[in-house]
Amino acid sequence: MKSLLLSLALMVAPLPALAHKVIAGVFPAGTSIEGELGFSNGDMAAHTEVVVSGPDGAELGRIVTDADGFFTFVPVEPVAHTFYADLGAGHVAEVTMSAADVAAILGVVEREAAAPTATEGEPQPAAVTVAALTDVERQVIAEAVRDEIRPLRREIAAYKEHNNLQTILGGIGYIIGLFGLGCYLAARRKLAL
Amino acid sequence: MHIVDGALSNPVVIGGVVAAAGGIAMGLRSLDIERIPTAGVLSASFFVASLIHVPIGPSSVHLILNGLAGLLLGWAAFPALFVGLLLQAVFFGFGGLTVLGVNTLNIALPAVLGWLLFGRFIGRGSPVAGAIWGGIGGAFAIAGTTALVAFCLALSGDEFLPAAKLVFVAHIPVMAIEALLTGFAVLLARRVKPDLFEGRVVA
Repeated sequence: MKSLLLSLALMVAPLPALAHKVIAGVFPAGTSIEGELGFSNGDMAAHTEVVVSGPDGAELGRIVTDADGFFTFVPVEPVAHTFYADLGAGHVAEVTMSAADVAAILGVVEREAAAPTATEGEPQPAAVTVAALTDVERQVIAEAVRDEIRPLRREIAAYKEHNNLQTILGGIGYIIGLFGLGCYLAARRKLAL
Repeated sequence: MHIVDGALSNPVVIGGVVAAAGGIAMGLRSLDIERIPTAGVLSASFFVASLIHVPIGPSSVHLILNGLAGLLLGWAAFPALFVGLLLQAVFFGFGGLTVLGVNTLNIALPAVLGWLLFGRFIGRGSPVAGAIWGGIGGAFAIAGTTALVAFCLALSGDEFLPAAKLVFVAHIPVMAIEALLTGFAVLLARRVKPDLFEGRVVA
């Protein structure tokens, strides 16, 4: 019996958490779009293929998530990007990044391409403050901030999935109300007879 | 167990809505005033059961309790489970509103089938025998639900057998737990309120 239980547990172990909601998010990250894919219980969807498509449904590319469920995609066109992933057994994730956000990312690319010539052109002494940061430094900072924010983002996503007691009691209240209404209607019908 | 929005093709979703509407109509017709409270209690327990996660290895599954609802309610399980599913979709984001019909069908139809097959044995014989049949009915409802979920996914393009195996294997522990729970629920009901099962063979 014990070995049977153990083998059952082992059979079940590598499966994704089927009972959970899928969480997917995309964020602008410098010159690319960064996204994450996982389940509401904290399991991330590792090595899952994500299909990127435009607003007309045309495929823009495919990416595979890393072991932590992260993926990055470098946009080329300033159109809305839809990220779709099939996690199996009826779990699909679909998130869209709006055209404006993608355009902002592409704007970053353009600005960075233009930046070196601009800084060389005007060596201002006033540029000792924030503007003195080179693009490399700025990128490193952005990277660091992203790394710092990542756990927060994850926590917020998990928090959004959290069902508190009020929600549960509210749902039960609705059920009591609905079936109470049913009782009322049934009783009226009975009295009318 | 809840299929989410966007996982199924449109014909499957529409077919699910039509079939579920038929089931709900059947259920409402069989739901007389004496059984409305039972339906309400089972609807509420179904609603809450999905929040009870049973940890198995690194993953976890949640209870469904559709077998018990079917055995106690017969066709009335359709409206009861529909209400539970609707509120789960609205409050917790389980499943979704467009796939509500399919989910109702997937969960309520095996419950009704379980009742048609095993319901008549539950009120008969000793309470323990009734409880054993109840356990079988509970496990059967989960197995039927996994099969229907896999079937819906297959109709929408997934390969049937791998999908079915995946869903079925993941729910073997749920089947065992639900068989136990349903069995004990039936045992308790037979001991405390035997009339719950009487006159239930014809609906």
